[in-house]
Amino acid sequence: MTTLVTTRLGTTRLGTTRLGTTGLGLRVRLFASILVGLVVLAVAAGTSALAQAPVCSVWLIESSRFMKVPFGSFMPDRTFVPGSNKPESNIPTVDLPVNVGVIKCGNELILYDTGWKQQEYLKMTGSEHWAPIGEQLKVLGFNAADVTKVVIGHAHWDHAGQLSDLPNAVLYVQREELKAIEWALNYPEKHIRAINSDPGGCYRTPACGYMPLTMEEVYGKVLKGKAVIVDGEMEILPGVRIHPAFRAHTGGSQLLEVPTSIGKLVFGSDAFSSYEAIRDWMVANVQQTDSVQQFLAYEKCYKITGGYENCVAAHEPLSYTDKYPITKNSWVALNGGRMAEVALAPGEKSRKP
Amino acid sequence: MLLASAVAALAGVVMIFAVQHEMGSRLGQQVVIATSPRPEPRALTADEDRYAAALWEVHREVTPSAVAMSFAGIAYKTEMQDVQELERRIAPLAMFFTRAEARVQSLAVPESLSKVHGQYAEAMTLYANASGEMLKFVRDGQAQHLLDAQGMGLKASENMLRVGEVLWPGQYKPH
Repeated sequence: MTTLVTTRLGTTRLGTTRLGTTGLGLRVRLFASILVGLVVLAVAAGTSALAQAPVCSVWLIESSRFMKVPFGSFMPDRTFVPGSNKPESNIPTVDLPVNVGVIKCGNELILYDTGWKQQEYLKMTGSEHWAPIGEQLKVLGFNAADVTKVVIGHAHWDHAGQLSDLPNAVLYVQREELKAIEWALNYPEKHIRAINSDPGGCYRTPACGYMPLTMEEVYGKVLKGKAVIVDGEMEILPGVRIHPAFRAHTGGSQLLEVPTSIGKLVFGSDAFSSYEAIRDWMVANVQQTDSVQQFLAYEKCYKITGGYENCVAAHEPLSYTDKYPITKNSWVALNGGRMAEVALAPGEKSRKP
Repeated sequence: MLLASAVAALAGVVMIFAVQHEMGSRLGQQVVIATSPRPEPRALTADEDRYAAALWEVHREVTPSAVAMSFAGIAYKTEMQDVQELERRIAPLAMFFTRAEARVQSLAVPESLSKVHGQYAEAMTLYANASGEMLKFVRDGQAQHLLDAQGMGLKASENMLRVGEVLWPGQYKPH
């Protein structure tokens, strides 16, 4: 259509006009170009972010094994009933591994829990299959001096030992854990403040399990500037997060979330003493435990990982077998103790012999 | 015929799973049965028992006091940074360990437990000296005193563990 366009200079005849040649069409084209550009940028950024998402490699080490523990003392709902045919009550005793998590994230090597080493503990608790943490790490091709961080799930003697043998590791412990121990120690009632009530043991009283040697090692880390006192939740590396689980086992228990190639894992120390307990919603290894908080800790693992399979238990009797699937890629290492390769980050070689 | 074959195949699959489950259950029970028995500690003689009971009266207070000394150091470094508060906590512990050292030295010791006694007595001396080092830090601010004290505390606690394994082997349980 031929139109006449009036300009300030007079009337001029232009050629055929269409809407697209007007200012409005130009603005539409410009807007569309900007929109497409933004979409392309967003996709590129998302792809880049995915490609850079941190992923860690994980192994499990059996520091030692408590032998022939009455099942009921570990899990009250699994107490042995003589003559019972029920699977939940027909096992009298179990052997409990002491599982230590070995987590490699880039150049950082983290241990979750550290077992213990003194032979006297082994004899007194009837433990077997122990080997020192340094030698066990060597089996995986690491050195004790390579460990950069130690996260203890709690400060009981069988989970927070051998700290002196990890000279470069920074210890992460909850302030709430330390406060709970001090509270118990200073409580006027002697049964509550006792670390060992009598020669027969301390029967899970509030200060039970916090032995002088273990506390001395924790103090040593603090004194040498190699400790971080954690207040609740904390990201210690990209994607590697401490979650508080207060009273899920002890006053200041803490979990550790780790991203891996098989999805997120959550280490729970004794808050997650038993994999079967997490699966079947039972309490396990009741110490200074609030059972409600232990269940809430289980729920946390379900929420973070999408189920129970990736919850890493400290003392699960089925560890290193097919019945605890994330630990099934296992082998026997030093002194009959077992190890498992749980997940490998891209480019990480297998360390299974 | 086709239906019969399908039912037979399904029955076969069910049988296989049943057998595997049964074998798994038996395997679990076999693992439990095959574990080695816990070695029983040597029974103490009557004299040794008396010594162990007497020493326990000291040990039951030494244990929380040793932990309290570690915590005083932890609290100083992580919270208060107040030497007066540190002194307030350490001074009574220093007196306690000095008294404990004397009490242990005064015990009648069976010859068979002389080594154990020596280890425990050394632990008390170490703890007394460690608390002394911490009080020296309060006075002169030299951090090496705290490091020396911590080293002594470490050795003392290991000594106590060795003694406990002989005299009170039931005091540790899985945690």
